[in-house]
Amino acid sequence: MDFELTEEQRLFQETAQQVAEKEITPIAERVDESGQFPRETIAQLGELGFMGVAVPQEYGGAGADTVCYVLALEEISRACASHGVIMSVNNSLYCEPVLRFGMEEQKRRFLAPVASGKSMGCFCLSEPGAGSDAANQQTTARREGDWYVLNGTKNFITNGNEADYAIVFATVNKALKHKGICAFAVERGTPGFTVAHLEKKLGIRGSSCAQLTFDNCRVSAENLLGKEGEGFKIALATLDGGRIGIAAQAVGIARAALEASRDYSKQRIQFGKPIAANQAIQFMLADMATEIDAARLLTLNAALLKDRGLRHTKESSMAKLYASEVAMRASIKGVQIFGGYGYMMDYPAQRFMRDAKITEIYEGTSEVQRMVIASALLS
Amino acid sequence: MTDVLIVAGGQGNPPSQNTLELLGAARRLADATQGRVKAAVLESAPTPLTAGLFGYGADQVFRAEHPLLNGYQGDVYVAALSQIAAQAAPQVILLADDSCGKEVAPRLAHRLNAGLVTEVLAVEGDGPAVLFRRQMYGGRTIATLAAQRFPVVATVKPRTMTPASELAGRTGEEIAVALTLEASLVRTKVVQKVAEEVRGVKLENARVVVSGGRGLKGPEPFKQLEELAQILRGAVGASRAATDAGWVPASWQVGQTGKTVSPDLYIAVGISGATQHLAGMTGSKTIVAINTDPDAPIFKVAHLGIVGDYKAILPKLLEKCRDLTQG
Amino acid sequence: MHTIVCIKQIIDPEIPADQFKLDASTKRQVRGGLSLVISAYDQNALEVALQLREKVGGKVTALCLGESGAMGAIKTALGMAVDEGVLVSDPPLLESDPFGVVHILAKAIQKIGVPDLVLTGCVSGDTGDKVMGPLIAEELGLPCVTFVSKVEVKDGKALVRRIVEDGYELVEAAFPLVVSIISDDSNVPRYSKLKDIMVAAKKQVPTWKTADLGLDGERVGAGAARLQMRDVSIPERDSKCEILDGETPEERAERLALRLRELKVI
Repeated sequence: MDFELTEEQRLFQETAQQVAEKEITPIAERVDESGQFPRETIAQLGELGFMGVAVPQEYGGAGADTVCYVLALEEISRACASHGVIMSVNNSLYCEPVLRFGMEEQKRRFLAPVASGKSMGCFCLSEPGAGSDAANQQTTARREGDWYVLNGTKNFITNGNEADYAIVFATVNKALKHKGICAFAVERGTPGFTVAHLEKKLGIRGSSCAQLTFDNCRVSAENLLGKEGEGFKIALATLDGGRIGIAAQAVGIARAALEASRDYSKQRIQFGKPIAANQAIQFMLADMATEIDAARLLTLNAALLKDRGLRHTKESSMAKLYASEVAMRASIKGVQIFGGYGYMMDYPAQRFMRDAKITEIYEGTSEVQRMVIASALLS
Repeated sequence: MTDVLIVAGGQGNPPSQNTLELLGAARRLADATQGRVKAAVLESAPTPLTAGLFGYGADQVFRAEHPLLNGYQGDVYVAALSQIAAQAAPQVILLADDSCGKEVAPRLAHRLNAGLVTEVLAVEGDGPAVLFRRQMYGGRTIATLAAQRFPVVATVKPRTMTPASELAGRTGEEIAVALTLEASLVRTKVVQKVAEEVRGVKLENARVVVSGGRGLKGPEPFKQLEELAQILRGAVGASRAATDAGWVPASWQVGQTGKTVSPDLYIAVGISGATQHLAGMTGSKTIVAINTDPDAPIFKVAHLGIVGDYKAILPKLLEKCRDLTQG
Repeated sequence: MHTIVCIKQIIDPEIPADQFKLDASTKRQVRGGLSLVISAYDQNALEVALQLREKVGGKVTALCLGESGAMGAIKTALGMAVDEGVLVSDPPLLESDPFGVVHILAKAIQKIGVPDLVLTGCVSGDTGDKVMGPLIAEELGLPCVTFVSKVEVKDGKALVRRIVEDGYELVEAAFPLVVSIISDDSNVPRYSKLKDIMVAAKKQVPTWKTADLGLDGERVGAGAARLQMRDVSIPERDSKCEILDGETPEERAERLALRLRELKVI
């Protein structure tokens, strides 16, 4: 593995750092507190190309690779995990499947506006009864001539409140199980497509998490991504890439926790010396730093495999599993190092902990990742 | 023997503060080596300046009068000063480090094939050597530089040199310089001058300066700073972040590219303390920092600090200062 | 309109005080693992040039004298969508004083072709020198305006806003012209767009050495320096800051006022 960054990767990282530091860090606390979607900074990220990093320029993207994407996502997430997830869903879960499975005309229509940051996309797989068991889709797609009629409810949809375009999974025949599932690109405003409910969340509070309902929502057959019955394959392939993004997000959160803890421990005086002089604190920092580097290497490894067109299902799951658990451990240690202040809303340590938790849950819980890894090992 | 030529500014008698400071520095440097102090006067008509210069320590005044010298114009000034320098043949040429001096000094040095040192904080003779002190790395270091080539052109930072004092009845030699200046020299022209209004005390002369920065998050809170400055009979300053954001005029800026201030009391509100800002205010006698971030570099130079939000702190501070200063 | 912007790569000046180290023998800052940036006002100068190109067309070239690593600064400028870059890099040249540096830059500018406009930042972020603009102007025999925040083109001439002590002046000058740039709200440097970075990364940038420029050897390198650094030191600061405690912000404010009174500063 060669992780010396290329010129464009270095410049991507540099630009992401600048934007994160100057534009996002200053508002991160306010975004968390208010739970408001950070419209202006997301628009700014879109203009700069962060919303379609690995999409070719002819479809409105930046035309970079997955390594660039994860480097940028780590920096943005380090500043604010809400921005991180908004960016991650748009890139990995929306743009990526349209790019990979869309026909030329579909890419022009559904990809270009989203990759260029003018519009936003979301990914509708989860349902009230289909979380980890994603094949158990209850949303139906009934064929009527050149149209499909969608009916059902999608749960926990990140960007669901803002998205102009949604990729919606629905089954044409439940008896076919996962082989009956189809993927559709659905435009906001299509009659029957409603944002039914917004969730209140523990963390990543600046991103929306919506319940979307489809009530006799008619979409043209031209909106079908891939072939009928290919939906589940599309979903899994998409999640392979998405998990790399969540891994990068988790590395960013973990780094934020480490850096805040390091700085705090150097200036917090107890018993007449900075608490950083205590081995108990030093060892916590050392463990955090080591695990973060390991998590980043796993993430870059998965990204590199993807860029080389190699199979990366297991590696993506490993990166996501490990990085999310590192983020959780690091942020809990961060709260501990901050002591009483760590528990207070005025200090950022608690935010990192709340933000970290979701990375162990969405786009496949840690348990699902272990299933994926084990099944790759045993097959 | 070190002869020093100063470039006098202003028109009056007594000469301007900057000119007095140049004369003070030049006199000390020249006296250490039995050298002479010479002054260059550029004017379009006679003024009392020349007489004033003798009274404050000049031995010779090289007076150049020319219609083109009606106000500062870089090309003309550089040409005029080159000709005066050729005639006066000094070892050291001192200019004030103001907007004119900053532009003229490098160009003059280039024309004279001279040495150049800018923003000088101290100058002294060391035998035949001339040593200059200035800040580098945004005020993180102080460097001592020795001129390797003469003449050496130097700009002196305002408010760093003890000004010359008057010796009543002192006189000197006035030398009229016949300049060869063509109108075709002029390649830049000021078409409009816009002065920003100064309320109360001028920033660079103020005994108390209250400054605001990025942490104020907008122009509104500067009203409170103005109020505090008024109570303390001081002036309001700002960091580059605040002037760059357009919240307050550029002329309020304190720092490397703004004004250098050294008041008795400097109150920094919502200023993190970027090196660029520190370069302009660390000479202040008492520095107070009010900032939400306990790690902000401003606390490294401050004598007194409050960690907290200015919004909660300023109203009470205003009230208490009002009580104390009126009581 | 062709604009050449002279940029300098420096060690990030905003590092914390405890990371700032001096090398006793070279009397320079120790690089260590510190990050490198384009000197702040040079970034404002790039922004001014790019805005001008957007208004009147033409192209922008970034010119940098530095170590081979300064290619990174040129690439950053290209990422901001500057059209061309030129790096001058030859170790002995890096020891030059400002007069040597402008001799080198002027030769490079002449080799590129003297443009309509040469921009520099008004301050070099490490040494604090504010001399590059005027010196380049003299070296090239061009007119010069310093501490300018805005450049416009009007009737084929430059109309620039020059910041002075008590306000500003509008100055008119014919091209070609050298201008040093100061920051204000109109020239905040833009972020690179990711798609421009992709172009920047692949763009060929020539690196010129002494032999490419026909330099006067008497004027460049350490031997030509017109000043000698005798000493450089980090001034001692009594870094004891008395933090005023108090349950509430109001209490702390009150204590501050009383303390200032005690110290007789108010």
